[in-house]
Amino acid sequence: MQILEAQTLKKSYPVKGQAVLAVRDVSLNIAAGEVLAFLGLNGAGKTTTIKMIAGLILPDAGWVRIAGRNPHQDAKALRSLGAVLEGNRNLYWRLTAAENLEYFGVLRGLSRRVARQRGQTLLERFELTEKRTTVVQALSRGMQQKLAIAVSLIHDPQLLLLDEPTLGLDVEATQTVKTLVREIAAEGRAILLTTHQLDIAEELSDRVAIINQGKIVAEEPTAELIRQFSGTAYTVELEAELDGDRLQKIEAIGAVVQAHTVIVRDPALLYHVLDILKPLPLVKVEKDRANLTDIFLTLTQAYPQT
Amino acid sequence: MTELFLAELRRSWIQLLRYSTEAIAGIVIITVVFYGLFLSTQYIAGPNLQFGERLDSVIVGYVLWTLAVFIMTDIAGNLQREAQTGTLEQLFISPYSATQVFLTRAIASLTIQLTLLASILGLIMLLTGSRLSFPLAVLPAFITVLLGAYGLAFVMGSLSLLLKQVQQLLGIFQFALLFLLAVPSESWTGSLKLLGLLLPMAPGAGLLRQVMAQGQPLEPIPLLLAMVNGALYLTFGLVIFRLAERETKRRGKLGGY
Ligand SMILES: Nc1ncnc2c1ncn2[C@@H]1O[C@H](COP(=O)(O)OP(=O)(O)O)[C@@H](O)[C@H]1O
Ligand SMILES: [Mg+2]
Repeated sequence: MQILEAQTLKKSYPVKGQAVLAVRDVSLNIAAGEVLAFLGLNGAGKTTTIKMIAGLILPDAGWVRIAGRNPHQDAKALRSLGAVLEGNRNLYWRLTAAENLEYFGVLRGLSRRVARQRGQTLLERFELTEKRTTVVQALSRGMQQKLAIAVSLIHDPQLLLLDEPTLGLDVEATQTVKTLVREIAAEGRAILLTTHQLDIAEELSDRVAIINQGKIVAEEPTAELIRQFSGTAYTVELEAELDGDRLQKIEAIGAVVQAHTVIVRDPALLYHVLDILKPLPLVKVEKDRANLTDIFLTLTQAYPQT
Repeated sequence: MTELFLAELRRSWIQLLRYSTEAIAGIVIITVVFYGLFLSTQYIAGPNLQFGERLDSVIVGYVLWTLAVFIMTDIAGNLQREAQTGTLEQLFISPYSATQVFLTRAIASLTIQLTLLASILGLIMLLTGSRLSFPLAVLPAFITVLLGAYGLAFVMGSLSLLLKQVQQLLGIFQFALLFLLAVPSESWTGSLKLLGLLLPMAPGAGLLRQVMAQGQPLEPIPLLLAMVNGALYLTFGLVIFRLAERETKRRGKLGGY
């Protein structure tokens, strides 16, 4: 089931009297249980898109549906939405963890009783129970971010928007946030996540959308995108350096030898090479695999400034 | 709505108590001002004047002005503070509309403010042995003034959304407010009388003066006119605020202060 549908969203901002297009015809769909990583350089239009989805910025054209409802017209749509916005604290610093959960629960339409119960459950689940009576101000940055995510889930929304959720977190806190995102998606929520950290996107996402200069330049299942950009070459790693005879034979069929490793460009030759190497001990045989960082750089540079 | 009101009341109250230096500073200032008022009216009034009536109307006038200033700057100040602390946009991602949220907040903080004022006044009366008579008949007139104040609060909130920096405007507004509350529109005649009816809060403030200072009974027709005045200004404020909210969302400037 599609939880989020966004169709041809457009937004331009006036800059020095001229309209500058920040988002051009962005369409996104996310199904229940799916994590979509939304990637782009600074200023590519990610936050603008997220805020148009959340009803915080009015699009010039296009439409948004959250669980079938338009957040710009129907306030009920916002019951299905939770968001942790970029660079914001998203919490009351003078209130404790438990008080924040309770307040935002009521603000999202729950009764106080339900808000408290759910707050309690979330504190336990996010391992914040010990900090329930600590004011947010006194929490570490990592715990604040965990709490912000907990608060965004207080009303059990189907869609969660996370704008740069790991920005400014240390390694451990980043790991915690990653684990949480996975768990939250496994509960059947749809998650839209923007991040600079491409390794995180690669690990977490089911699909990737890459935005450049306000336009989506790629949108694919993560594994599919990586497969497309991966080479066909194989690398064979040996325990010891190659001796003269085998070295000559292998170079003769067109493979490249660099000390302990043999690079086979043409996959048809792989078993040929392995025959020649037999019975030398191998460390590993590996197919080239692109990572998201390379793909991202390739795609964003292929569409330069217009 | 009741749930939200109680949640806002708890939130404001907790924040007030937890950072009690601000609360205490506020209470000390109010107490000193009131105490000063009590003393000076006693001094000015002297033993020959009918002290009671004068003191009552001075105190009521002052309470009214502080409350109106408090209400009027509440929403704009709230918007600005929330933007700085990074919670403003979360308020707009709510099934409650922004007008509902901010009106509820403003009423919750007024409740707290009234409680503080009442306790302070009570304390001073206890200490000085003075008596304030607060005829219940002033209550309806008082409410009409509050309605107008909330209307203006939403107008100020709209300006704050659109222009972001409104401190100076708020300062100027406090004096405009003093004029509106002090202008003796109840004694105007002819076309001026009509103008008096149209000015925000002025009809209600006039009624209050008549009842408190001159001891006249509350007339139904002027009260009705004051009610209509208050209701219209509140409606006007709410409409303007909705428009400003939409325009701000169009500009993409909701969180950017
Ligand atoms: N309120 C605004 N007014 C004018 N320009 C804006 C506003 N918000 C964003 N922009 C511009 O729009 C572009 C996209 O910004 P943004 O959506 O924040 O990108 P990202 O989140 O991908 O870094 C940028 O060039 C930014 O400068
Ligand atoms: Mg951004």
